[in-house]
Amino acid sequence: MKVTPRMVEEAQEAEARDLLARRAARLRERGESTVEEAVHWIAEFPLGEERYALPLESLRAALPLRMVTPVPLSAPAVIGVLRFQGQVLSALSLASLLGGHGWRQDPAVLLVVEKGDGELCALDCEAIPRPTTLPLAAVEAARARTEGAVMEIFTSDRQLIHLIDLKRLFAERDTGGRHGR
Amino acid sequence: MAVDAMLQGLVVGFAAEAQEVIQKVTMDLLEIERDGLESEALAKIYVRLGRHLHTLKGSAASLGLQDLSDIAHRLEDALAPVKATTQKMPRGLVDTLLHGLDLFMLRAQAHADGRGEQLPDPASALAQLVADAPAPELAAATRSPSGGAEVTAPAAASPGAAEAAALAMTEALSETAEAGWRVSARQVTALMREVERLREVRLRVEERSRELERVATLLARQGLLAETAEARTLLSGTGRSLRTDGEETSDIVDALEEGLKAITTRPVRTILEPLQRMVRDLSRQLGKEARLSVVGAEVSLDRRLLEKLQGALVHLLRNAVDHGLELPGERELAGKHHEGALTLRVEQQGNLLYLEASDDGRGIDLGAVRRTAEKRGVASADETSRLNDNQVRDLIFRPGFSTRADVTDTSGRGVGLDAVRAAVESLQGRIEVASTPGQGTRFVLTLPVDLGSSPVLVVRALEQLVGLPMLAVEATQLARLEALRVGKRRAHLEYQGQLLPVVNLGARLGLCAPAPPAEGQPLLIVQSGGRRVALAVDAVVGDRDLVIRPLPAEVREVPSWQGAATLSRGELLLILRPDWVVGDSEKTTVGAASRRALVVDDSLTARALHRAMLEAGGFTVHLAASGARALERLQADTYDVVICDLDMEEMDGTQLIAHLRDRKETRALPVILVSAHDSASARERGLQAGADGFLSKRECAAGRLLAEVLDVMSRKGSRV
Repeated sequence: MKVTPRMVEEAQEAEARDLLARRAARLRERGESTVEEAVHWIAEFPLGEERYALPLESLRAALPLRMVTPVPLSAPAVIGVLRFQGQVLSALSLASLLGGHGWRQDPAVLLVVEKGDGELCALDCEAIPRPTTLPLAAVEAARARTEGAVMEIFTSDRQLIHLIDLKRLFAERDTGGRHGR
Repeated sequence: MAVDAMLQGLVVGFAAEAQEVIQKVTMDLLEIERDGLESEALAKIYVRLGRHLHTLKGSAASLGLQDLSDIAHRLEDALAPVKATTQKMPRGLVDTLLHGLDLFMLRAQAHADGRGEQLPDPASALAQLVADAPAPELAAATRSPSGGAEVTAPAAASPGAAEAAALAMTEALSETAEAGWRVSARQVTALMREVERLREVRLRVEERSRELERVATLLARQGLLAETAEARTLLSGTGRSLRTDGEETSDIVDALEEGLKAITTRPVRTILEPLQRMVRDLSRQLGKEARLSVVGAEVSLDRRLLEKLQGALVHLLRNAVDHGLELPGERELAGKHHEGALTLRVEQQGNLLYLEASDDGRGIDLGAVRRTAEKRGVASADETSRLNDNQVRDLIFRPGFSTRADVTDTSGRGVGLDAVRAAVESLQGRIEVASTPGQGTRFVLTLPVDLGSSPVLVVRALEQLVGLPMLAVEATQLARLEALRVGKRRAHLEYQGQLLPVVNLGARLGLCAPAPPAEGQPLLIVQSGGRRVALAVDAVVGDRDLVIRPLPAEVREVPSWQGAATLSRGELLLILRPDWVVGDSEKTTVGAASRRALVVDDSLTARALHRAMLEAGGFTVHLAASGARALERLQADTYDVVICDLDMEEMDGTQLIAHLRDRKETRALPVILVSAHDSASARERGLQAGADGFLSKRECAAGRLLAEVLDVMSRKGSRV
């Protein structure tokens, strides 16, 4: 049978349709599995010997720790104040907020975070955080069983992450001044 | 009078300039009618008055505004006799001149609005001015031979007037050029944010420049000097260029900020000065005498806020003159000065503006307020009987309230204080009133402000720069031992016949132990709420006009600070609350008996953490950012223990220990070294240098540092 150009074109179109259909099927499968593996994005960083994390959505910026003005007579957790995009923010010691924590190297980074009430503040940090994920189910389970601001969650590779709930952290901490002085 | 169309633009600028000049003349006239001015001061004011009137005349003539030139000329004539003899200006003459200025300004504004042709012939107004002029014999004694009373414009030909005219035209041109821009508040706010961002970019450029320098230094340390020479030269050149670019950017940011400030704010005096005239005229009209004093007129505020406040201030002052102040005879009978004192005080603290209007009049008669409220139906008798004094006083803010029985030009229509309250509340502010019978009344307006700047005195306590509102600083002086009375608990300064307590700012802020001032140490006389102290600081850096921003929630409640301002290099300056400075420091001073620790670390966060841990253990903690600073602190104060970082840039922990062990006073002082390096070699190095204890920073978790400190102190026989 003589193959006409028209038939070639039709064959190519059919082949392309098959290809697209296969791709679409693969994407649909991926979408379904994604739902099963819903994740919670976090910014993970070291604090002393342990690994801590903040929800990535609360992180606004990571800045070098400089140009911080100490505030005499402020609460122990307050390192000082700094300017950020025209605002005056507090720089707070995360180790102090967590109740006294050793550290491996002097913090050199400030993480500007949203505290959960729409306000910003900066937390000190030993290194620039790494964006990564935790299984959403594990985060929700940890949130349900934990009353405090720090939730212990294991990653898929069995690493322990201390995930900080900023809203709870600031609700339970008093960062007010040392009024007696 | 017709104005050349080509000159119309210039006339608009001239009117604006004339308004400023007339404001200055008005202020001088109000000053000159005061009692007790010395002849030298009088002479100076007369010279200024003459010059300003001459400027008005010359500028008007150069623009062809003959009517205005004639009015100014007539005012010069009226001034001439008293000016020549430097005598106190009679009230009648002040009235004439003020009236003439009003006439001048009304016509100038009409010309500027293009209504010059509709103005009535000035002849009758000029005739009125002639009628109001001083007695002929007085004027004749000093009148020029050329007959200055003639309506002419000789000034236009004089060199001085030509200069003034040129200046007026230049300014008019610049005004005209600027007059075309209209921007929304949102656009300006957005621009301000961009300028803030630019400042942060400038800081990053500076940081990059420092990084380049570090790279060049590192390359030089590699030992391959010849091989890296070209790269180092290139890096150094780039670093220098970056620094220059950074400095230029800094200048641009400063200029932009200044420009934006000028656009968005203006000094409060621009609305307060015209009120002087209003107070004067109203007092005259009511047969009273009043003098308005303004404190804090240099504070600059958001223009929109000022415009809205102007009406409220007019109401408050009119109310004070009409209802508050007594007639001169009544005042003298009550043992007061015949001239009533009105005071307007403006102060910005953080993002709050305090505006206080007070008088020393008869005060609010609560009985009269009750009766009036009932009579006018503002409140029922039943309601007023249940109100306390403060609530009765607040009735004056209700609509329809007025204690005046008759309706006059000034008051009596029951419209006034309710309008003031409405205006203040529309700005999200509040108004309060306090009054003492026979002594006076005080209205305090508290308003939130986003924009605006205040004069601040920048001082240093140890390494900490802080700002103090200029309003609170009465004087500065250097401490002289003969003027000090040093007691066991505190020192006092003999100042203007009083003994003022001396407050050491560093100690008050918990940065060091209290100590009497040294000879030559700067002392600031700070006053707030009727109290004064001598504040000892380590240096006075200078005064700045700064925008004070509110502090974030975590430090907002610290009573010592009212806000923070940005200095030119981008760093924040904390601003003190004057009421805290003058407050009772004795009861809040840290007990001398508590154990004292000195933390030495070049990391701000490490210092903060150590401080937190030690304070939790009952220690009084002072901080030093370097070994050198620690040695300074140890020479001035005594400590029970030193906690020191092993690895610091200038002087490391082992070097500091060597210095301490060399000095007799600190030879036995317990020292604990801390280090980020948790290694046996670091520990050995520290202990060999003479440290009494060693901890890695990893080990400095809650309790561990404190335990080590107490252990070391116990072993060394210190009080624990």
